[in-house]
Amino acid sequence: MAIGISGYAAYIPKLRIKKEEYAKAWGSFSAAGVAEKSVMGFDEDVLTSAAKVTKRALESVPLAPEKVSRFALASTSAPYTEKVLSGTVIVSVGIPGTAFCSDHSSSTRAGTEAMVSALEHMMASPNGRAVVVAADAPTASMWDSIEHPMGAGAAAFVLSSEDLIAEVEACASYASEYLGERFRPKDDETLHDLNVKKYEEGSLLTNTVKAGNAVLKMLNRKPEEYQHVVIQQPDARVPSTVASRMGFTDVQLAAGLVSKSVGDLGTASTLVGLAAVLDVAKVGDRIMVISYGSGAASDAISLKVVSDRKSPFKVQAELDRKEYIDYVKYLKIKGAIV
Amino acid sequence: MCEVRCMAHVSVPMYWRTIPQRYKLVGQKCKKCGHVNFPPKGVCKYCSASSDFEEVKLSGLGKVHTFVLISAGGAPPEFAEQEKAGGQYPVAIVELAEGPKVIGQMADADPKEVKIGMPVKTELRRIYSEEGVIRYGFKFVPAEGK
Repeated sequence: MAIGISGYAAYIPKLRIKKEEYAKAWGSFSAAGVAEKSVMGFDEDVLTSAAKVTKRALESVPLAPEKVSRFALASTSAPYTEKVLSGTVIVSVGIPGTAFCSDHSSSTRAGTEAMVSALEHMMASPNGRAVVVAADAPTASMWDSIEHPMGAGAAAFVLSSEDLIAEVEACASYASEYLGERFRPKDDETLHDLNVKKYEEGSLLTNTVKAGNAVLKMLNRKPEEYQHVVIQQPDARVPSTVASRMGFTDVQLAAGLVSKSVGDLGTASTLVGLAAVLDVAKVGDRIMVISYGSGAASDAISLKVVSDRKSPFKVQAELDRKEYIDYVKYLKIKGAIV
Repeated sequence: MCEVRCMAHVSVPMYWRTIPQRYKLVGQKCKKCGHVNFPPKGVCKYCSASSDFEEVKLSGLGKVHTFVLISAGGAPPEFAEQEKAGGQYPVAIVELAEGPKVIGQMADADPKEVKIGMPVKTELRRIYSEEGVIRYGFKFVPAEGK
């Protein structure tokens, strides 16, 4: 029985800051290809964003929240390091407490990690309904240039074996040991990165290419048989680096490359990209999604579009709804002035 | 965000008891007169003759009945930091589609654009934080274009 996506939605908070604001404040902007990025409001966090986007995804099917049997939440920027995070979201949305809930939080790969674990539930219980949500707003010290690309956003998917928009063809993962790139020590609120560029690129390429190629091999496919590829977007250049190594092109990346207007969405990066692709994909299109989390691991998921039904919540509409803020307002909202 | 030290205290158990109302607007429909009470009451506030209720989840849709803008110095201590970071914010009394009038902050709305009669809907937001515990609850956001 085919399992896949029967509903989806994205949420991008409306505040934006342009790269020019960073250039004015710091003399430079260190996020390749990012023109502006999204910022959560003072009274928003990843849990309020997750609640909002989960409601939207359920509405897009439509599916009553009472029917959900599996809930998987991903974020690297949760407001608590210990506490069941799903609780806030399921109670506010109306998903029953009997649904199996899991929180995925230790790397930016957690979005697809949540997706893969929810797919496993669907394989075991094809009559169930799973919701996967990734919401993120990574934060680093304002003194550190790794802070520049960090944006905010969320995406949610309803997984089902009925009414599919896209079915999952295969998935594969690769995990390995890499040290010193994008990590957050215990008791530290902000991210660190030793910024050893070539070494970090080695980790990125090793994990993404191995996971991606494993899926291609399983399906006996070539990159050119895909219409779309979505690759982890810590900035707007990294996806091209991975794509060209694997034999994908910038044309295949285009529809899902949201980072140029929202920045690095952490765990939500590949999933907001996937939602943007589903908005424009045609029946028969094949989509490859490859995530990456430092430390390091990647998941690759191959999907085939089987229906021309679209979510009423267009990613483009989320990108268009915006209000610009200056750098001082940004610092205040981020709580960086204490 | 940093913790506010001086504020109106609501204990965690007291807050927890109101989560069905604050997270998902659970109200009660009077089985005698049919009116919807929100927040829940011991005795129906409309007919004062029944305590027999049916639980109903409100839609969260409503219209601004009246509002006030809170500016610097006017914000209660738990919202002072919010006012400093984001500036003036509206607090509205909203008439919900099911009838009850409830008070709440407005978010994602330019204070200059808020009008009596404007359609709004509820959304989960961070209200404030006390004792390291984030208090989530509903705020009203403009209902169009969302």
